[in-house]
Amino acid sequence: MRFFGAEAENAPSPLCGGGWPLRQQGSGEGRDGTERRGGLPAGRAIFGSRVPLSRPPSGATLPRRGGRENARLVLSAPSRIHPAGAGILLLLALLLQILPAQAGQLDRATLEKYFPPPLVVGEKDDALPVWPILKQQAGSYEVFAYAFESVDLAPIPGFGGTPPDLLVALAPDGTFRDVRVISQHEPVFLEGLGPEPLFAFVDQYAGLSARQAIRVGRPNARAGGAAPQTTVDGISMATASTRVINQSILASALAVARGKLGFGATNLGLKVEAKPDLYEKLSLSDLLARGWVRRLTVTNAVAAKAFKGTGVEDLADGPPDPVLTDLYVAYLNAPSIGRNLLGPARFDALMRELGPGNHAVMVVSAGPPDAPENPLGDRFVLGSIPDRLTIGQGGLIVTARDMAVERRDTGLAEGLPAGPWTILRIDQAAGFDPSAPWVLTETIVRERGQILSEKITRTFPVETALPADLFTRVKPDEGPSWTDPWRARAPGLGAIALMLAVLVPVLARQRGLVADARRFPAFRLGFLALTLGFIGWFAQAQLSIVTLVGLVRAAATTHDLAFLLYDPPSLVLWAFALAALIVWGRGTFCGWLCPFGALQEFVALLARPLRIRQVAVPPVLDRVLRQAKYVVLAGILVAAAAGSPLADSFSEVEPFKTAITLTFVRSWPFVAYAAGLLVLNLFVYKGFCRYLCPLGASLALLGRVRMLDWIPRRAECGSPCQLCKVRCRYGAIEPSGRIDYPECFQCMDCVTIIHDPGQCVPQVVARKRGRRVVPQQAAA
Amino acid sequence: MSRSGPPHAPRRRVLVAAAGLAGVAGLGGLAAFRTAAASHGLLLRTRAGLAFGTTVALTAAGSDAAAIEAALMDGFAAMRAVEAAASLFRPDSDLSRLNRDGVLDAPDPHLVVLLRFALALAAETAGAFDPTVQPLWPIWAGAATRGGRPDGGTLGDALGRIGWRRVRLEPDRIVLTPGTALTLNALIQGYAADRVIAALRERGIGDAFVDTGEFGASGTHPDGTPWRLGLADPRDPASLAAVIAPFTGFAATSGDYNMSFSDDRADHHIFDPATGYSPDALSSVTVTASSGLLADGLSTACMVLGRELGARLIAGHPGCTVRFTDKIRPDRRRL
Repeated sequence: MRFFGAEAENAPSPLCGGGWPLRQQGSGEGRDGTERRGGLPAGRAIFGSRVPLSRPPSGATLPRRGGRENARLVLSAPSRIHPAGAGILLLLALLLQILPAQAGQLDRATLEKYFPPPLVVGEKDDALPVWPILKQQAGSYEVFAYAFESVDLAPIPGFGGTPPDLLVALAPDGTFRDVRVISQHEPVFLEGLGPEPLFAFVDQYAGLSARQAIRVGRPNARAGGAAPQTTVDGISMATASTRVINQSILASALAVARGKLGFGATNLGLKVEAKPDLYEKLSLSDLLARGWVRRLTVTNAVAAKAFKGTGVEDLADGPPDPVLTDLYVAYLNAPSIGRNLLGPARFDALMRELGPGNHAVMVVSAGPPDAPENPLGDRFVLGSIPDRLTIGQGGLIVTARDMAVERRDTGLAEGLPAGPWTILRIDQAAGFDPSAPWVLTETIVRERGQILSEKITRTFPVETALPADLFTRVKPDEGPSWTDPWRARAPGLGAIALMLAVLVPVLARQRGLVADARRFPAFRLGFLALTLGFIGWFAQAQLSIVTLVGLVRAAATTHDLAFLLYDPPSLVLWAFALAALIVWGRGTFCGWLCPFGALQEFVALLARPLRIRQVAVPPVLDRVLRQAKYVVLAGILVAAAAGSPLADSFSEVEPFKTAITLTFVRSWPFVAYAAGLLVLNLFVYKGFCRYLCPLGASLALLGRVRMLDWIPRRAECGSPCQLCKVRCRYGAIEPSGRIDYPECFQCMDCVTIIHDPGQCVPQVVARKRGRRVVPQQAAA
Repeated sequence: MSRSGPPHAPRRRVLVAAAGLAGVAGLGGLAAFRTAAASHGLLLRTRAGLAFGTTVALTAAGSDAAAIEAALMDGFAAMRAVEAAASLFRPDSDLSRLNRDGVLDAPDPHLVVLLRFALALAAETAGAFDPTVQPLWPIWAGAATRGGRPDGGTLGDALGRIGWRRVRLEPDRIVLTPGTALTLNALIQGYAADRVIAALRERGIGDAFVDTGEFGASGTHPDGTPWRLGLADPRDPASLAAVIAPFTGFAATSGDYNMSFSDDRADHHIFDPATGYSPDALSSVTVTASSGLLADGLSTACMVLGRELGARLIAGHPGCTVRFTDKIRPDRRRL
């Protein structure tokens, strides 16, 4: 059984938890695990990302096989086929094996696998996309849970802009029966950590209440003392993804709770607490007069009236006046009530014991102590949830348990009766709002008949309504805020900022380090090593076309850009890249800050020792191939704008995820593709960057706004001198000497040359002729 | 009359029992169902769901699984159509709109049928059944939330807004006197049973048992034995008070146990339009009739009328039967 703290006794149904035969896919691949998983074992989706995790068996096998064959066909390609062609073929291969993951994909047959008999999958609701899950009992049905897919109700975009889809089963009392992963596109759970940690993560929700705002804590937060009713353990390295999953679960459950359970509109996640400093000295009679302490008196006459017609109305003989029970009821957390009743010392001790967020209600009996009706009499069990005193709010019973505090009555307010008393603790998980009216109900039970006795119960309520200004109301906790990752990654962000702070002056001061033909290449290699190792592999800040896809999707459908905030290093780099774009063009990012670009540059160093000669791409073909990257970009953006999951598939043209995010730990077709591009790079320097990269293409397009033609030129450049053009490994200098800035990677080679009197041909010639030439300075 | 509206119209504790299964239709019962049906070459399919704020279940028999599936879908569509016309659980239903606006042009035909029947029954019972008791609902529900009963003044005010003559049903328009609000909760489930049986029949399903909150049955169980309807004891839902067998046609039960404002069930969801309080004589009434609408309306009217006048009302409707359960039986118990 999945019991949950103090709530256990109230667990509504014996089928809750243990009786429900479903276990999480990853952890419970037992008897029926494979069937439910639709034949796809956890995390074994061959091509990773886009295979929905729970497709039925028939749907799952075909694309896998097809995909693999197509990929094999392509993988021999890089050595002999044209690289761009190979890439495009591979793209097609990927497309063939990927089925689009649609929103709300579960049908009745699939749901029946999740909720096998004796549970019954009811007819889908026609107002909300919710399946009632029913349980047959004695010929009639009862609602066991409401099952729904989070993506139907709360499509919150994940890390790459695609919302995760979770199957949530919400019990009628608002607790989660279970949560399952239907599909998800979070890179970290696809290949990095694998999906198992995610399955374990969503397992934590069973038994929690949707009335609470549940927040994702640090890993092992629960063991570390975080409130287990409102905290789930997070997963390191997956803060952003778990937050999105958490929000998807809570937001969709809230929508269903409002639509189906009639709650959630007011109390969900609301934190109402008594102002701790608001104190006014009041006597008991003041408190009673204000209605801050309530009194519930049941006399013989009242009881007789209530039991009228049952045959036991006159059980208590005697005159009508005598009191059967007389209770004082007080909400203690407000110091003006609690401190006055208990005295300062006891009040402070109680608040410490109670803990933040929880509530205490005191009930003191002033009636005859030995009366059988006395709810605090002999039969009261210390530390229990009293059976004859209940606290309710909004028609719902709130769990309130005796705190078993020491029963000495010292310190109680003047005039408070000396009778037995209890302090009931209401856990914050109960969603109790002390600023809203609540009711304490006393139950009186009488027995009718001697032999086959029958219990007749009557209830006597008293309402407490405290003024709102005694309390602070805190709106629902939003869960981990976007500031968390910024704080957590501050050191890394600082290091990146430092790198940028070094890079900018170096690039800006052309007569400084750049002009030093010996030291500048060393600086460049050092910097690129940091770009690859630190920015890429360590900080995981490889910018990617996936972010643009997310932006397009946000613009088209979700209108939520918040996902950007959860990846601070990338956002910082994006901001810098865009700023640099305006000043220098795309080259600042592509040539200095792209980890995969840096990796290619290091691999290219091997060309000389391996005696590999660059393949000269004919100028015409070169021009055509350069346009290919724009086609790829257009395909991705159009697909994203159309809301098609193909955008994710197209984005796999980028090897970044394979090479940088996942450090080549991925299924072999992806690894082979990325490795193939690196090999290609030995023959066609940075062929991927120049011909295929959609991110580069987008930056090149945006780079049209560049303000500076910052590469100095001389009159002799292009005519007659072709040195820089020949030396430019990117083909970004035209024979005329003009710089093709959209193709420039800002490697600074030509700048170094032009400032080096020993290399720059016009200067060499001029020196021989005994005069100086002045380069045309870059235009402002 | 009448039951007034939402929220949770609750579980109806009437047992569905098939032939040969005395009262207990648990898992074993279902298995036995299937075995028996299979031996006759017929399939039995049940589709459960939520409607009218409670659980419903349609059971249909036939030889073609696809046809049964289609029929069950039509059955649910029929219920959704009735809900869209007259459910108070839906803020967008025609009835909810009528209550909000006080007037409704071009009302849904289902709503017209229900309202015409309601007004006719109100006339026949001299207002014991009345579809305009809805204003009592928020008063009682509000008082119950606060843990008390409404005071006389509030009730008196609401009573002043009750009266079936305050409703004008014109050919293409319904008009309410200001302050009036309607509930058809007393009829909607029975009427839905009619519509579902009709929808199934249109798909060629002659053997069916439907639970829309009220009950309807046609034909027989696929094993050839008649349908049986078990009636739960209102005070002890685990035991059967009576069994109607064979059961065809429609049955409706009104009782104090569905939705009570007080634990003793003195105050519940059926109101006497004359007093604003719940009638106190009966615990439940079950009526069988040739239509669910009639059964449902009569059972509610009988709750208000009491045993004697109720029996007289039923006598005026040939083909109908009635079972009364008194509210308290201390004397019988002592015997």
